[in-house]
Amino acid sequence: MSGRFSGKNAIITGAASGIGRATALRLATEGAGTFCVDRDEEGLARVVDRLGRGHTGLVADLSSAASCRQVVMAARKLWGNRIHILVNAAAILIRQPTLEHSRAAWDLTFDINLKAPFRLSRDVVSSMIEEGIRGAIVNVGSVEAVLPGRGHAAYTASKGAVTMLTRSAAFETAPHGIRVNAVAPGIVATGMNADLRANNPERWSAMLAGTPMGRHAEPEEIAAVIAFLASDDPSFVTGAIVTSDGGWTLH
Amino acid sequence: MGTRRVAIVTGAGRGIGKGIATTLAARGYDLVITSRTLRDLGKTRRLVEEAGGSAEIVVADLKDAGVAALLLASALDRFGRLDGLVNNAAVNFFTPFWKQPDRNLDEIIETNLTAPFFLCQTVASYWVENGAGGSIVNISSAEDTIAYPEQVPYASSKGGLLSMTKVLALEWGPLGIRVNAVSPGSVDTDMTPEMYRRDAPKFMPVGRLGTPEDIGACVHFLLSDDAAFVTGTSIYADGGYMLQ
Repeated sequence: MSGRFSGKNAIITGAASGIGRATALRLATEGAGTFCVDRDEEGLARVVDRLGRGHTGLVADLSSAASCRQVVMAARKLWGNRIHILVNAAAILIRQPTLEHSRAAWDLTFDINLKAPFRLSRDVVSSMIEEGIRGAIVNVGSVEAVLPGRGHAAYTASKGAVTMLTRSAAFETAPHGIRVNAVAPGIVATGMNADLRANNPERWSAMLAGTPMGRHAEPEEIAAVIAFLASDDPSFVTGAIVTSDGGWTLH
Repeated sequence: MGTRRVAIVTGAGRGIGKGIATTLAARGYDLVITSRTLRDLGKTRRLVEEAGGSAEIVVADLKDAGVAALLLASALDRFGRLDGLVNNAAVNFFTPFWKQPDRNLDEIIETNLTAPFFLCQTVASYWVENGAGGSIVNISSAEDTIAYPEQVPYASSKGGLLSMTKVLALEWGPLGIRVNAVSPGSVDTDMTPEMYRRDAPKFMPVGRLGTPEDIGACVHFLLSDDAAFVTGTSIYADGGYMLQ
């Protein structure tokens, strides 16, 4: 296969479903070799089966530092240290009233949404610098970093942290030719909101009413933005937070 | 002036926190001041008293469970009321991104973000249970928006603190609780290198570094009823640095 990602190797977390899955499929279609990471073993197996030869899956719980370290070590071994792209798509949303938000939910949210992208980016950047690879890292933030979600205290805070993880890591790695960007999606139909769509269609409709385009995004639409940021096309773009929200944050 | 108001100020032993405490004391607040170092707090208490206020000292590490409840209880035991909370305590460790150990990130997130969240939660719960309102000010940083080298965990913590400020403001608005932030730029404290102070006119649009009292004045405004319609925002007190 040929395309923008021919000869490129990409790690994608959260690859079993939603935005991560769509990103793995998109990057692979354009020629990337992928290393797909998720804690959902069955979903991951389906994605890797569909991707076929040249693609690898690793079941990992990214809430642990050891697992994050293992992901990058395994990818380095698989590809002879040639990691070109990291997409941090894995995330968790735990809805709890803010006055009753538990310590456990807060910690788990930060472990997966902030600490895992931090740890993976750090180790991938280290690998890229050693190998002289001018690579790209793409984080998945959220418009909620700017327009918060009720009951999403830890999630909102974690995505605000991802925004600045992106900008400060971009600042430091720019001299090495490494670009770090993020997409900030609005409402996307993924597993994160499957319950809401099924059981509370009125709330879902109300949320869509706040999106000027009047609809939600499919994961593939966010994957298209991620693919752009991961490609060499935006060669002068780093530290950008690309909002992809159907106009939600316009008003 | 009427009754004195009461606020908790974390990280009040030095620097910006000390300036916030003395400014608030001069403007009608009694305080619960906390830090990890008793000696520093003793100095701050003297300054608070010279400014006409009273201060209850709590020596504590905000990472420890139960400290939030202890700070609230200290305010109520000593002063019988609580009107405001200022989350100022923060830590930073300078290391190139690709060499940052996990413990740096863990400690910075814990101190700069997790502890403030649960202190906000403890104080807000008290206000809700007592049918009272209140005002919270989180001390963020220009680094919640602009990047500096070798501080990825710190920047992440401040980006998170800014978003946390917004979500709490949204959720607690109906409860009469306002939540805002002040994002200081370069502030002159006893930790500021002399060279930095001397060169300030070259890189600061207003020609000088900020003072802890500059930050204290912004905090006082956001705590006060003058800011009754202000919530979920941050005041960038940076002398114009971010305009460049």
